[in-house]
Amino acid sequence: MTRHRPDIGAAALLLFGATAGVHAQQVSVDDAAQAYRQIQIDVSYAPSDAIAGFQVWYSSEAFETTRDAELHSTVSVADTTDLERVPGDAVFERCWSDGLPIHRDAAGNPVVSTAATEWSCALTGMTPGAGQWIAVVPVDAEGAPLVDPERLQPVVGRTDVPDERTPPPDTRPVLYALGMVALSAIVLLSFLRWQDVGRGRAKSRLAHIYVAPALIALATLTFYPILYGMWLAFTNADQSRLGDEAWIGLANFATVFASSGLWRVTLFTFVWAVSNVFAHVFLGLVLAVVLNRRGLRGRTVYRTILLLPWAIPGYISVLAWNGMLQPDGLVNAFLGTAIDFFAGANSARSVVILVNIWLGVPFMMMVLSGALQALPSNMYEAAKIDGVSRWDQFRYLTFPNLKGTLVPVSLLSFIWTFNTFNTIYLLTRGNPYVGFGEPGATDTLITYVFAVAFEYGRYGVAAAWSVLIFLMLVGFSWLYLKRTRAMEAAA
Amino acid sequence: MTVSARNGMGGGQATVTLAERWYVPAEVRALRAWIPFALLVNLIILGGEALRGGGTAQLAVLGGIVLLAVLWWSLPDGRQQWRRTASQGLAAAILVLGVLLLLLKDGDFYDLWASSWLIAPSALALYWLSTGLSGSWCAGDSDPRSAELGLARNRRLGPRLETFALHTLLLHAVALIVAPAVWIVDLSISPGNILGGAIGDAFTLEHFWAVLGGETFWRWTRNSLIVALGTTLVGLLLAIPAGYAFSRYRFAGRKGAMFVFMLIQMFPGIVILVPYFMVMKTLGLLNTSIGLIIAYSVTALPLCVWMLKGFFDAVPRALEEAALLDGCTQVGVFVFVVLPLSLPAVAITALFSFLTAWNEFLLALVFNTSNDSYTLPVGLASMIPATGQLWGDFAAASIIVSIPVVVLFVLFQRALIQGLSAGSVKG
Repeated sequence: MTRHRPDIGAAALLLFGATAGVHAQQVSVDDAAQAYRQIQIDVSYAPSDAIAGFQVWYSSEAFETTRDAELHSTVSVADTTDLERVPGDAVFERCWSDGLPIHRDAAGNPVVSTAATEWSCALTGMTPGAGQWIAVVPVDAEGAPLVDPERLQPVVGRTDVPDERTPPPDTRPVLYALGMVALSAIVLLSFLRWQDVGRGRAKSRLAHIYVAPALIALATLTFYPILYGMWLAFTNADQSRLGDEAWIGLANFATVFASSGLWRVTLFTFVWAVSNVFAHVFLGLVLAVVLNRRGLRGRTVYRTILLLPWAIPGYISVLAWNGMLQPDGLVNAFLGTAIDFFAGANSARSVVILVNIWLGVPFMMMVLSGALQALPSNMYEAAKIDGVSRWDQFRYLTFPNLKGTLVPVSLLSFIWTFNTFNTIYLLTRGNPYVGFGEPGATDTLITYVFAVAFEYGRYGVAAAWSVLIFLMLVGFSWLYLKRTRAMEAAA
Repeated sequence: MTVSARNGMGGGQATVTLAERWYVPAEVRALRAWIPFALLVNLIILGGEALRGGGTAQLAVLGGIVLLAVLWWSLPDGRQQWRRTASQGLAAAILVLGVLLLLLKDGDFYDLWASSWLIAPSALALYWLSTGLSGSWCAGDSDPRSAELGLARNRRLGPRLETFALHTLLLHAVALIVAPAVWIVDLSISPGNILGGAIGDAFTLEHFWAVLGGETFWRWTRNSLIVALGTTLVGLLLAIPAGYAFSRYRFAGRKGAMFVFMLIQMFPGIVILVPYFMVMKTLGLLNTSIGLIIAYSVTALPLCVWMLKGFFDAVPRALEEAALLDGCTQVGVFVFVVLPLSLPAVAITALFSFLTAWNEFLLALVFNTSNDSYTLPVGLASMIPATGQLWGDFAAASIIVSIPVVVLFVLFQRALIQGLSAGSVKG
C-alpha cells in the first residue's frame, strides 16, 4: 500500500527554527500511542503572546512548504475560562493539554489555554500502515504563520497497522442479492408479458423488453438499496463493521427517539422547507407576472439574467454566498459592518434560508412563466375592455387559473427543499455547534443523517433516521400525487 | 373608482359625469401603489440599520416608515384640499429626513441606496402633489371636459409610470442575482486570497494560471468528464427504450411502472445514501468512476424517462403507421423513424443528464475519499476548508467551470424547462 516506508525510530524529535517573538517549538510523534489510522503528536512550546494557534499540516510525502501539504486541523490558543473540557473519546481528534482533555469552543474546535506549554493530539484519518509527514505551524491572530512556511521540517509518524492489504470484503452476499432482485424483476416482467399475450395484445409484446433494462436497473440500484437500508436500521452497522453487522432490533430507533435534538431538527426542517416554498412561489410568481408583461423593454435580457442562479452550478453559488457572508465578505462590505452571520443560531438559520431562496426562485419563475403563457390571452383582452384593473385581473383571472399549477409545483418544491443537502452543508455544515453528537443549529434531517453516517460513522443509526425521513416523504408524495391526480381529474 | 365627495352635496347640482367620477390623476394612483412598496423596502432597510447598530439612523428610518404610512393614509382621495396640504407637508418631512440620513452617514453606496428609498418617493410625492393638475383636481374645480382630457392623459401616462416601477423592481432583482457573480469575478482577478477589498481595484491573472497550471484541476475535470459522459450514455441507453414504450404501447403493468418512476424522483438521496455507500464499498467501487456512473444514471433515470416520454408523445403516429404498412418491423420503426425524428429531444435529455452528473455533489462527496478521484464539485468545495481557504483559486476555477454550463443553460433554457415540467409538474 505504501511506496514510502519511512524509517521512524530516531527521527521522532525535531526543532523548528525560531523566528521573531516565537520561541523554539518541539514536535514529537509518540510511537507508543499510535493506533489504527491515528498518529499521536506531542507539541511543546514556550508560550508567547504572538501565538494565537497552531495548524497541523500533513502529507504522505516529505514536504517543505504548506503548499505541498494538507491542513489536518487547527488548535487555537485562547482564554479557556468559559469553555468546557470535552473528554477525548467524545470527539474526533482526541486532544490533551496539561494531561487533561482539551477545551473546546462553541464550534467544537480544540482550544488550549494561554498558559499552557504543551498539548497533544491524536490525528485521525491517516492511511493505515503508511508513513505520514507532519508539521505544526504556530500562527498569529490573523492566521499568518509565525515560522517560515516555506522551510518546514516535518516529523514522520506511522500508524500501528502493519503494511498489509485488508482482505477484500465478501462481495458474494451483495452480488447474490442484486442477482435475486434482477431475477425477480425479470420474472415480474415475463409474467406481465404473458398476461398481455393472453389478452391478445400482440402489438405490445416488445414493450416489456423496452422497459426491462430501465426497470431492472431501478430494481437493483434503487429498490434493493432502500430495502437494504431498512434492514441496516435494525443492525449495529458502523464504520468498523462492514458486512458482519448483527440484528439488534429496535435499538437504533430508540437512539433516534431518545436523541435530544430530534424535535428541534425536525422543526427546523419544516421551517426551512415551508419558508423556502412560500418565498419561492411568491417571488417566482411576482417575477413571472412582471416578465410576462407584453412590451416591457429588455424582457429577454431580464429573463436571462434572472435565470443565472438556476444556470450556475448550485454548489458554486452556495460557496460564493459563503464567501460573501464572511465577516470580511461583500455583504459586510456593503453594509459597512463586520458581522459573522454564521455565529449565532438564528442568524445562521436565516442566512441558510435566504441563500436557498435565492437559489430556488428562478426555477419557480420559469415554471410559472410557462404556465402564465399558456393562459388564454383573449381572457385578458375581455377584462381590459371591461375596464378591470391590473390587480383585479391578477386576483380574479390569473391566480385562480394558475392554481392548477401552483399546488403541485409548491408540493414538489416542498419535497425538493426538504431533500436539499448542498446549501446547508456548504454554508454551515449544520453549525453553530450545539452539543456533541447532537444536530447543529442549522442541521436539517438530511444533513444530520449525513453527519451521523459519515462523520460519526454510525451507519445503523443513520439508516434508522433515513427510515423516519422515508416515512415522512411517503406521506408528502402521497399528498402530492393525490393533489395532482385531483387536478387532472378537475381539468 | 373613487367616489366623489360631491355626490351627496347639493341635490340641485348638475349630475357628475362618469369621467369626472372616475378621474384620478395617474400620479396619485401611482403614489397609492408605490408608497406601500417603499414602506416595505424601508422595513428591510430598518433591518439593515439594526445590523449596523446605528441608533440615530434606525430612528430616522423608523420615523420615515411611520411618516410614509401616514402619507399613504392621507393621500388625496377626491376633492379635499386639506389632504393635499397634509400630504405635501408629510412628503416634505420625509424628504428632509432622507436628506438628513444621507448627511448623517459617510455616504457610501449602501447609505446612498438606503436614503434614496426615503428621498425618491417623497420627492416624487411632493412634486406631483404640487403640480397645477393635481391642485385643480384636489380643489374640485373640474368639468366633464377636463376630466375626459385627464383620463386620456392617464391612458398615456399610466403605463409609463407602471413600466418605471417594474424596471425599478427588476433592477433590484438583477442586482441581487448578479452580485455573487460580480464578486466571484472580482475575487478571481484580485491578488491574494483576501475576501474584502473594493470591486475592480486590482487585476491579476495569477489565480487562473495557478488553477490551469496545477495538476489537480485537470484531474478533477477529467474525472467529471468521464463520469458525466458515462452517465449520459448509460442513462440514455436505459431511458430511450423505456420512454418509447411508455409513450407508444399499452401493456400490463404500464401504469404501475410509470407510477414507480414518478415516485422515485421524490425520494431523498439520503435515504439510499448509506446502503449505496455500503454496497459500493463492498463491491470495491468507491473512488472509481464506474461507481458514480452507475449511481448517477439510475438516479437521473426516472426524470429522463418522463422527459423522453413527453417528447415521444409529440412525434406524430401517422409516420410510424405508414412505415409499418411499408413493411418496416416494430423495432425498425423505433430505430429508423422515431429516433431520428426525436434527436433534438434526445439531445436535450442527454444535456440534462450530463449537467445533473456534472453538478452533483452529495454522492460524489461520499463515494470519493481521495483527492485523485474527486469530481469538480467536490474538488472545488475542497478548496475552501474551514481554514487555509484558497478563495482566489476557487473563484478562478468556478468561473472556468461555470461558463460552459451557463452558456448551455441559457441556450437551451426553454427546452430544458419544457422537458422538466413534462417530467415532474404535469404528472
